[in-house]
Amino acid sequence: MFELFVLLLKVGFVLNIALVLGSLCTWLERKGSALIQDRVGANRAGAFVESDRWYLKPVLPLVRMMGWLGVINTLLCDSLKGLWKEDFVPEGTSKFLHAVAPIIAVMPIMLAFAVLPLAPDFTVFGYYIHPRVAPIDAGLLFVLAMGSVAVYGVAIAGWTGNNKFSLLGSLRAAAQMISYELPMGMVFVALIVVYGTLDVYSIVEQQGELIWGFVPKWGVFVQPVGFVVLLLAGMAETKRGPFDLPEAESELAAGYFTEYSGMKFLLFWLGEFCEIALFALLLALLFFGGWQIPWVRLPEGVWWAALIGHVVLMTKVVFFCLLQIVIRWTLPRFRYDQLMNLGWKMLLPISLLNLVITAIVKVLA
Amino acid sequence: MNVISFLTGVCAVVSAIGVVSLRNPLYSAFALVINLLAMAGLYAALDAHFLAVSQVVVYAGAIMVLVLFVLMLLNLKSESGRRLGFVRSALALVIGCVVVMSALPPVVSHFSSMSQTTLSDNMRNSVGTVKAVGQELYTNYVAQFELASLVLLIGIVGAVMLAKRKSVVLAPRPGGLVGGSK
Repeated sequence: MFELFVLLLKVGFVLNIALVLGSLCTWLERKGSALIQDRVGANRAGAFVESDRWYLKPVLPLVRMMGWLGVINTLLCDSLKGLWKEDFVPEGTSKFLHAVAPIIAVMPIMLAFAVLPLAPDFTVFGYYIHPRVAPIDAGLLFVLAMGSVAVYGVAIAGWTGNNKFSLLGSLRAAAQMISYELPMGMVFVALIVVYGTLDVYSIVEQQGELIWGFVPKWGVFVQPVGFVVLLLAGMAETKRGPFDLPEAESELAAGYFTEYSGMKFLLFWLGEFCEIALFALLLALLFFGGWQIPWVRLPEGVWWAALIGHVVLMTKVVFFCLLQIVIRWTLPRFRYDQLMNLGWKMLLPISLLNLVITAIVKVLA
Repeated sequence: MNVISFLTGVCAVVSAIGVVSLRNPLYSAFALVINLLAMAGLYAALDAHFLAVSQVVVYAGAIMVLVLFVLMLLNLKSESGRRLGFVRSALALVIGCVVVMSALPPVVSHFSSMSQTTLSDNMRNSVGTVKAVGQELYTNYVAQFELASLVLLIGIVGAVMLAKRKSVVLAPRPGGLVGGSK
C-alpha cells in the first residue's frame, strides 16, 4: 500500500513538473517574444485589480504584479478562454479521431517524463526513494520511442481537419519528425557507447567524474558534435524555431491544427511547450551533467543534497527552454528542401561519423 | 497471467479483428497501430522491456507512420459494396477454424508446462534487459545477427536504386520546392 502511495506521489510530482515547465515556457514565449520584438507584451489583465475585502488586501500587490508581468493573461485568461470557446468540428470526417488527436499528441510527451530522473536518489524517514516513475533500463530508448509515437497525434489531426492546409501540415510534420529522429537516435547511440548504459540515471552519475582531473565528464565535453546535432534535431522534432514548417503561418494558415479550436487547440500548444521542456530536460541530463555541479561533490542519499540537485537541474532546464525560445524568435524559417537537406545530407552523415569515431576512440582507449 | 497482460491481449485481438474488418483503409491502419502497441504492452508484461521499446520504435514509430503517410497521400475512399458471398465466407470460416485448431494444441501444452516452471524473481529482472539481449545477440546469435544486417543493407541499397530514376531532375531548383519531373 505504501509503495502505491509513493508511486502516486511520484506520478503527481512528475506531471506537476512537466505542466509547470510547460506553463513557464508559455509565459517565457509570450513575454520573451515581446522583448525580442521590442513590444511590451501582455500586461493588462489583472494589473489594475481593486478590492475592498480586507482578506484580499495583502495579496493584491502580488496579483497586480503578476498581471503586469502578463502571467495572469497568458496562463489564466487564455486557458479560461479556451475552455469557454465553441468547440468546432469540421464536417465529413471522423469526430472521434478529431477529438482523440490532441490527446494522442500530448500523451507520449507526458509519458516520456516518466523515465527521466529529476533528482538524485535519497533516503527520507528510512525509505529509499528514486525520484522517477519508471526506472526501466532502456530509458533512453523509451524517450526515443515516445518521440516517434508523438507523430500520430499530428498525423491524425491533419487528416481529420478534412482540409488541404491541415493535410499538408501533417504530411510535413510526419516527414520532418521521421527524418530528424535518425540523427537523434545516432547521437543517443554514441552517448551509449561513451557511458556504456541506456539508463539515464547512471549516465548522469557518471558525468560527476572528471577527465584528466579538471574537466568535468559532461556530455558536452565528451560529445561536442553530438550535442550540436542533438540540439538541431531536437528543435526540428519539437516542430518549432526555424523548423516550424508544419504550421508555417504564412503558407498553411496554422498547419495541422488549422481546424482545431478551444481547449483542443490549447492541448496542442500544451504538448508543444511540454515537448520544449522535455527536450531541455534531456539536454541538461545527457549533456550538462543533470544535477551535478562541476568540481563539487554533494553527499549521496541525503534529502537536502537531492533538493539542491533538483534545483540545479531545473536551473539548467530553464536555461535550455530560454535558449530554444530565443532561437525560435530570432531565426527565419527554413525552406522545405533546406530542411530535408539539413536532416539527411548533413546531420545524418555527421552523426554517423561521430558514432564511428566515438567507437574507435572507445576501443583504443 | 496478470491483469495487464490480459488487458493488452484482449486489446491486441480486438484491434487485429479491426484491421481486417474495418472498411476504411486508414482506420485499418490505425487499428494495426493499436495492435502493435498492444503487442509491445504484452512484451512489457512479460518483462521483456527492451523488446517492447524496440517494437514501439521500429513498428509503431517508423513503419506504420510511413504506411499512414502513403494512405493519406493516396486519399483512398472506404470500400463499400464488395462483400463476399455465402459460399466464400463459409469457406473462409472453415479454413480459419482448421488453422486455429491445428495451432491450438502446441500453444495449450506450452502454457500448461509454463505454469509449472515459474521464473524466479532474479531471472525475471535479468532476462529482458538490454544487457541480456545484447549478450545473446553478440555471442550465440552473432552470425544470424550479421546476416540480418547484411540483408537490411541490401534492402537499403535496393530502395535507393529503385528511387533513383534517371530522366528526372531531383535536385532542388533555386527558389522553388523540391524539383519534380520536367
